[in-house]
Amino acid sequence: MFGKVLVANRGEIAVRLVRGLREQGIASVAVYSDADRSSLAVALADEAAYLGPSPSSESYLRIDKLLDAAQRHGAEAIHPGYGFLSENAEFADACRDAGIIFIGPSGDAIRQLGSKTGARKIAIGAGAPVVPGTEAALRDGAEAKIAAGKLGYPVLLKASAGGGGKGMRRVDREEDLEGALRDASSEALRAFRNGDVYVEKLVLQPRHIEIQVLGDQHGHMIHLGERECSIQRRHQKVIEECPAPILGQFPELRMRMGDAAVRVAKAAGYTNAGTVEFLVDADGNFYFLEMNTRLQVEHPVTELVTGIDLVEWQLRIAAGERLTIQQEDVRWLGSAIECRVYAEDPEQGYMPSPGKIVHLREPSGPGIRLDSGVYEGWTVPMEYDPLLAKLCAWASTREGAARRLGRALAEYSLTGVRTNLGLFREILVDSEFLAGRLSTSFLDEFFGRRQTGPLSAEAEAAAALVLTLGQKRGSDEAQRPVGNVASRWLADGRDGVTR
Amino acid sequence: MKREVLVNGETVRIQIEGGRLRYDRDGITPVTAEYSVQELEPGWFAVRIGTHMYRVMLGAKGEVAVNGRTLRMEVFDPRDLRAAGRRAANQGRQEVLSPMPGKVIRVLAAVGDMVELGQGLVVVEAMKMQNEMKSPKAGRVAEVRTKADATVSAGDVLVVIE
Repeated sequence: MFGKVLVANRGEIAVRLVRGLREQGIASVAVYSDADRSSLAVALADEAAYLGPSPSSESYLRIDKLLDAAQRHGAEAIHPGYGFLSENAEFADACRDAGIIFIGPSGDAIRQLGSKTGARKIAIGAGAPVVPGTEAALRDGAEAKIAAGKLGYPVLLKASAGGGGKGMRRVDREEDLEGALRDASSEALRAFRNGDVYVEKLVLQPRHIEIQVLGDQHGHMIHLGERECSIQRRHQKVIEECPAPILGQFPELRMRMGDAAVRVAKAAGYTNAGTVEFLVDADGNFYFLEMNTRLQVEHPVTELVTGIDLVEWQLRIAAGERLTIQQEDVRWLGSAIECRVYAEDPEQGYMPSPGKIVHLREPSGPGIRLDSGVYEGWTVPMEYDPLLAKLCAWASTREGAARRLGRALAEYSLTGVRTNLGLFREILVDSEFLAGRLSTSFLDEFFGRRQTGPLSAEAEAAAALVLTLGQKRGSDEAQRPVGNVASRWLADGRDGVTR
Repeated sequence: MKREVLVNGETVRIQIEGGRLRYDRDGITPVTAEYSVQELEPGWFAVRIGTHMYRVMLGAKGEVAVNGRTLRMEVFDPRDLRAAGRRAANQGRQEVLSPMPGKVIRVLAAVGDMVELGQGLVVVEAMKMQNEMKSPKAGRVAEVRTKADATVSAGDVLVVIE
């Protein structure tokens, strides 16, 4: 096993990895940009290496600086986390060439699966069902029209190098095709420096369900079941869970999709942890979408129901150990739900909300796991993804997990930046969510039917009371808060927070 | 002690006397109850109003959260003339602020327009994403303080609704 590992990431995942390394008795090296100098991950790590200015292009995306830091600190391996360089084949190759182990698949496997059309070919070869569509990039509008006509409208245009919804367009009618192709291609070119676009049949009311796989370097690979990730905004997941509610209707889906995922991953020569994404329609048909060649944001959901520590196995597999878990050993117990806490305002189109966290109170208690990357007083930088934390609940049933998550959300208080905590509180009691009727359009539909009750006058009065007393500054008319001599409450009052 | 509270653009009267509180908003039955407040952690309070418990957390300037829901709230002393002037100016008006630095792509409303709650007013691009700034209330557009292609900073007032 390794003695020291560099964590080439930031935020909550860097904290998760530093924790995982410490549990294995491995020293950790955190890296940071200017904006992350006082980040939680840096504070919790054994060593810290400065990368550069805040923009990720000058820090977290700099292969040379990361390798230099790993060498200076004597790290034998690098864990890339998710995002940034985690799915970058050149980075994996550069690590190998520098004699540093990249904790993930080989550069070749990343390269093969990184292109959506390439991954489609592998999936077809491995006998996994794919959404009907073109395998190669479209040459022009005429070719697109023929292909879309064969598939039948509506169709979906997608960027070959894409992800995160960029370069993606739904087209309902032939007359809109050419314009949409132009838009998708130019957006793809801007986002990925590759304007290739292909066309697929649009699966209506799809669920987004993915399979976690884990494979060692000795040819042994298993799957750890599914995660349902249908609830998304801007094509990014916000709530994930296991088991997928649709398993109630089609219990055999887990093993069928799991087998297909293992076949695809094996065909690409994949090792370490990875995730195969599928679309699932209302009749239980599933279609290969893409493979994410890294640890997923939502991996805790799988860890909670299987009891298998994915980060631990990532490290052991990268160190050359054999995966000692057989497929038939994997058990799924109970239900886990995760919500991604973002610094963003759902009422303003999910506008990111960077800034200082004025006060923070994090939930805990039975069945709760919180993977957080922030602390009270920290400033959420504007340069990066606004994910603050992942709150997960486990219980023996889905209903129990939802109730538990709702309870934890009620305990979760964070002020200073806007968050989506309030939105989660509403979703967790939404009848459609509780019934497990999920699809990728869930959130849009939710906003259509939601009714936010006004806050009760009594709750409002409680807030006004605190502000009024805080403003009072030591007059004896009202009672002092108990046992707080050097109260930040009064200090805030003086600083004009309450004016 | 009597104060006035501006909550989400509306003025409410609050009176605190001998461990009792009266919270009086036009159009609803006033809340009158005995109360207690404990600061459990800096900035985090357990508040009892009558028999009910509420968890209140101080936020950024002009914001406070109760049971996790954020309110825009400011407290004024009605005897303070400057504050009264500011309050009068703010009465019923709500400013739509840019939450972060960015660039204005489009302005969707003009002065005098009647807008609905949640109606898009300005599109701001920030962090490579276009975001529609929505109206916090139904009302009339009183001011538009930005224009297309303008660069805005966090906290800049984009539009004022009354």
